[in-house]
Amino acid sequence: MADAVVIPQVQPVQPALRFLRIVPGVLLLAAIGYAGKLLEVNVGKYAKSHHWVFPNIEYVLWAIVLGLLISNTIGVPEIFRSGVATYEFWLKAGIVLLGSRFLLGDILKLGGVSLVLVAVEIVGSLAFMTLLGRLFKLKPKLTTLLAVGSAVCGVSAIIATKGAIDADDEDSSFSIAAILALGTFALFTFPLIGHYLHLGDRAYGIWAGLAVDNTAEATAAGALYSDAAGKLAVLVKSTRNAMIGFVVLAYAIYWASQGQAKAVGNKAAFLWQKFPKFVLGFLLISVLATYSFFNKEQVGALANLSRWAFLLTFAGVGLRTNFRDMRKQGLRPFAVGAIGEVAIAIFTLGLVIGAEKLFGF
Amino acid sequence: MSAETNTGQDKKPWRLSLDSWAVVVALLAALLVRAGVFKHIPW
Repeated sequence: MADAVVIPQVQPVQPALRFLRIVPGVLLLAAIGYAGKLLEVNVGKYAKSHHWVFPNIEYVLWAIVLGLLISNTIGVPEIFRSGVATYEFWLKAGIVLLGSRFLLGDILKLGGVSLVLVAVEIVGSLAFMTLLGRLFKLKPKLTTLLAVGSAVCGVSAIIATKGAIDADDEDSSFSIAAILALGTFALFTFPLIGHYLHLGDRAYGIWAGLAVDNTAEATAAGALYSDAAGKLAVLVKSTRNAMIGFVVLAYAIYWASQGQAKAVGNKAAFLWQKFPKFVLGFLLISVLATYSFFNKEQVGALANLSRWAFLLTFAGVGLRTNFRDMRKQGLRPFAVGAIGEVAIAIFTLGLVIGAEKLFGF
Repeated sequence: MSAETNTGQDKKPWRLSLDSWAVVVALLAALLVRAGVFKHIPW
């Protein structure tokens, strides 16, 4: 099996021992994230005091770049790996806390628009990726995994679909590697394209949420543009994430009908199990914020807590990206993913610009 | 076709998913902020 993405196997160990295992990695995430924050402030100050023309590089980018440097030079030692893998936990906790900065009315307005865009994006992306997979003669289940990863939500969707359609480990490893590599590429190119096209914060945020596959990368790509764009990217990406159960269920039923996967029993239980619970947490916090459960200072404190959680996430995005491992995966799935991602990025950009003109957000 | 049924549930002892833990921890943190245990969180 290819070893691009190491999904840590949970051993039956005592909870206290499990907690101790993650401490070094979490401290590493915090150290890298905080170093990114210090670099943002101090590099800017140093450049200013020396009258250099130097772009303001946000902590988001510093944290990712520092993580990438460590991962691709000395590597991440074994002792840190369990803790580094918690970056998804911090991402989801950060998204829930970010709900305090959204009033329910905003969610209903933007969520309504984004729901339509997300539905169009998912249908278009699934159809296009399936066609590409057939053109490139990829294995059908590999094509399914790539299609779900590109259309819905990256790694989580691939892992959920793999179990539901009985796909090979190798296929899911290929798909995850392609989605991660392309997510890293999007992270650096999307803000540049957004600035080049003079996209507003809202249009850019919605575009990043629609087109960048993995939630961590979508959050980072949004935050790299602006705070407002980051908020929107998270909202739209969460709407996409909410669709995961329906898409996986549809594929599970299809592959079961082909006799190549187990039949789906209780569909409601299946949907609930696949539904990302952090979306519910995000909505709950925003309902509480809407009805003034938190005062202004408390909303500020929750927003800052959310930023700290994202800081650890961004460090983790860099640390888990290893270009050498990605290269080992072979070119064809990557080529299909790359062509598909470019097409989806152009397609969703058109959707966002069209919707902006239509709905005037 | 396989006779097994894909229920979407693992046959492991019930425990909270990573997602659910993230929600629990975030809500707990929000309640602590609301209760005034953490008055100011700097950035």
